Amino acid sequence: MRLYLRLLGAHFRSMMEYETDFLILAAATVLMQVVNIVFLSALFAKVPVLNGWTFWSVLMMFGAVALAEGVGSLFFDGMWSLAWQINRGELDYFLVRPYPVALQVSSAALGINGLSNIVTGGLMIAAGLAHSAVDWTPWRVALAVLLLLSSVVIKVSINLATNAVCFWLNSPSPMFAFAMHQVGDLARFPLSIYPVALKAVLGVVLPFAFISFFPIAYLLDTGSSQWVGLLTPVAAVYCAAVAALIFRRGLRRYESAGN
Amino acid sequence: MPIVEARGLTKVFRRPDKGSGLGGAVKHLFARRYSDKVAVDHVDLSIEAGEAVAYVGPNGAGKSTTVKLLSGILVPTSGEVRINGLHPQRDRNTVAYQIGVLFGQRTQLWWDLPVSESLAVLRDIYGVDHATYRKRLARFDEVLELGEILPVIGRKLSLGQRMRADLAAALVHGPQVVYLDEPTIGLDLAVKDRVREFFRSLRDEGTTVMLTSHDLADIEGFCRRLVIIDQGRIIFDGDLEGVKDTFARERILHVETARPLPLEAVRAALPGAEINIEETPLRYAVRFDRFVMTAGQVVTVLATLTELVDFRVDEPSIEDVIRRVYSGDLVLPR
Amino acid sequence: MRGYRALARATARAALAYRFSLLLGMVAVLVQLVALLAVWHVILEQSPMNGFTWPQMRAYLLVAFAAGTVVSILGDFRMAFRILDGDVALDLVKPVDYQKARLAESLGGLWIELALISLVVGVTLAVTGGVDLPPGPGLALFAASMLILVPLKFLIVYVSTLACFWTQNFMGVQWARLAVVNLFSGALIPLVFLPGWLATVAQWSPFAGLTSTPALIFLGQVDGREALQLVAVQLGWVLVLWFGARLVWRAALRRLTVNGG
Repeated sequence: MRLYLRLLGAHFRSMMEYETDFLILAAATVLMQVVNIVFLSALFAKVPVLNGWTFWSVLMMFGAVALAEGVGSLFFDGMWSLAWQINRGELDYFLVRPYPVALQVSSAALGINGLSNIVTGGLMIAAGLAHSAVDWTPWRVALAVLLLLSSVVIKVSINLATNAVCFWLNSPSPMFAFAMHQVGDLARFPLSIYPVALKAVLGVVLPFAFISFFPIAYLLDTGSSQWVGLLTPVAAVYCAAVAALIFRRGLRRYESAGN
Repeated sequence: MPIVEARGLTKVFRRPDKGSGLGGAVKHLFARRYSDKVAVDHVDLSIEAGEAVAYVGPNGAGKSTTVKLLSGILVPTSGEVRINGLHPQRDRNTVAYQIGVLFGQRTQLWWDLPVSESLAVLRDIYGVDHATYRKRLARFDEVLELGEILPVIGRKLSLGQRMRADLAAALVHGPQVVYLDEPTIGLDLAVKDRVREFFRSLRDEGTTVMLTSHDLADIEGFCRRLVIIDQGRIIFDGDLEGVKDTFARERILHVETARPLPLEAVRAALPGAEINIEETPLRYAVRFDRFVMTAGQVVTVLATLTELVDFRVDEPSIEDVIRRVYSGDLVLPR
Repeated sequence: MRGYRALARATARAALAYRFSLLLGMVAVLVQLVALLAVWHVILEQSPMNGFTWPQMRAYLLVAFAAGTVVSILGDFRMAFRILDGDVALDLVKPVDYQKARLAESLGGLWIELALISLVVGVTLAVTGGVDLPPGPGLALFAASMLILVPLKFLIVYVSTLACFWTQNFMGVQWARLAVVNLFSGALIPLVFLPGWLATVAQWSPFAGLTSTPALIFLGQVDGREALQLVAVQLGWVLVLWFGARLVWRAALRRLTVNGG
């Protein structure tokens, strides 16, 4: 853990050299969230509820996706360079160091844009909660924190798993993982609006719905299957295990470069 | 017990065959064809602690692949590797502390950090305590003159600086076994000399070193044992000096004479020697086996037949021997 | 001219080689289509809103998808990397105009984009039911508008990519562009849903021509003089951006040659 922050921190200092660059990135990220909020408010200006979901609850789902994504970028951005590293044979040195390869990969970069996503996502969740009628007990607060953590774990695990697919794809860019990441954007809306096949994909195959919809449905006590939200930690453990398995399998296929 | 042991080590790479151009690309869409390339073919190797081994072979012979297999970077197609009796993939973490790897073609420094910071990160990864770390840095500085490059950012290093920094990076944790894969590639002579001196100091401290190179000057004066690989197979594994004694027994005497040599008479006087006329008139090359006759004997014989103006004896270097092995002129016993 | 054709052909070939990456790269636009279809299906099932019925909104979203897919591949990333790596210097010594060369490359990738659009539109219509085509003149104007959209979109991408001469951070610029385009073009939500002032700003911005204009013409929500006027604005922006881009390029060049990259 300390070593992980140490690895990340090494990049932080060098990043500070490009001050304007990362201001641009941070600003762009905020802009994207602002556009989302404008879109949502324009939409809900005309309709009070979407399938039983209010503006504030959908805002929370947008926020949850942004927050999980933000943590993924800020602390685990190196995953996105895995494809490149495999292609160039740059995992060689990672493999001879006494530290888990996956952690060396994910700490190889620090996405400062994650910070703005964490902040804006957090604000969106907070705004949503402030307008909800949740009856806060200590037990419920603890549960909410657990759900949030699980949601982040799920997002990061899916990132790792989809990026690790590059061990099989031989592509120098993380296009597959990026495409799956985009699919995750579907989970910003209530799952109930989608056809059954899509519900199955988002709920089971790539359980993005556990990042936002299910835990929020449980917390807000809305929708028809709130109890599913309680499975979020289980989904998190499952995702992390599958991601680790895929990564480990992929590593066995690693062929280095220059052959 | 050997510190590094490989048995029947084999690595097969599978590559898609793509035709060229648009037609080939389209064809590849429908019918995928692959070809297997055997990079390393049933290699048996065992290295004792403290040994210095040169691993040589032409480009593409499988040197780097072997090193990657021995360090656990690649999973062998078949066969197995043991480092101190440990499995390099299963016991990756334990093995990592014991080995150090340098790939001359690739850096492990962080491109956006100063060298000092890259080394410090590695120190923390390996959990080296600060006192030991300082001691090691001081030692690297002695031979590699590391001090001047410590503040330089990774991407701004020249090739020679990078290699020196990478050597330090590979050795920060004081590994028992060090693999050096083409550690002098692209370096100028001055840096090469310094790096070679560093290898010798490593060896003298009892570190097990395996050095791959196709610059044979790297290995002369460095190691006792020579392993030659060609097309994935080990074709020689034995004593470096022995190779010289056994196969570098040939000597060539170049002579310049005042008058033409009576070749028939020379042949009669020196049975077993081979006389060739060189391009310039009145110059000859006499090939002989130094175990059959000495250079002195040859000169004496020639001097009785004609007047010698000048002469010189060439002794083949290990480089010549290995070059002839590569080209198939010379078959070494296993 | 031959040089530009060769460049277009090179991209066309590259598009084949990278087809999987390209198709995966289009997932973002596709996801937005799916999400918005689902959202509007729920909302409009019972009653139309702001003049949009469900079939109309579906048609709108399909046009938005097509517009979002056209000229979206290859060009910008490659151009950005060449600028950031300094390889752009090699482009300068070639006897082709930089801007036209990049346009030619973008056109070369069109075929794979059109193939994907036909596939997605076909599947969507098969699953959710057909759409009504506008009458003859409307259809012609729609076609014209879609045609103008190609250089318009190229120019917006091109100008924003030139920003790489000033910042290392291509991702940031690209994200900002995507966000602005998404909102102001009407791709995310038809402009009439936006607050009045915002809708007006968007309407006259170059971005409206990227979705709103062709989509509204297709739906017949604008026709006659009004439609012609929208297409004229679209065309006007193409001209402004074409020459504006040259000014930006000249400034970029000065920066490159004076500062040595």
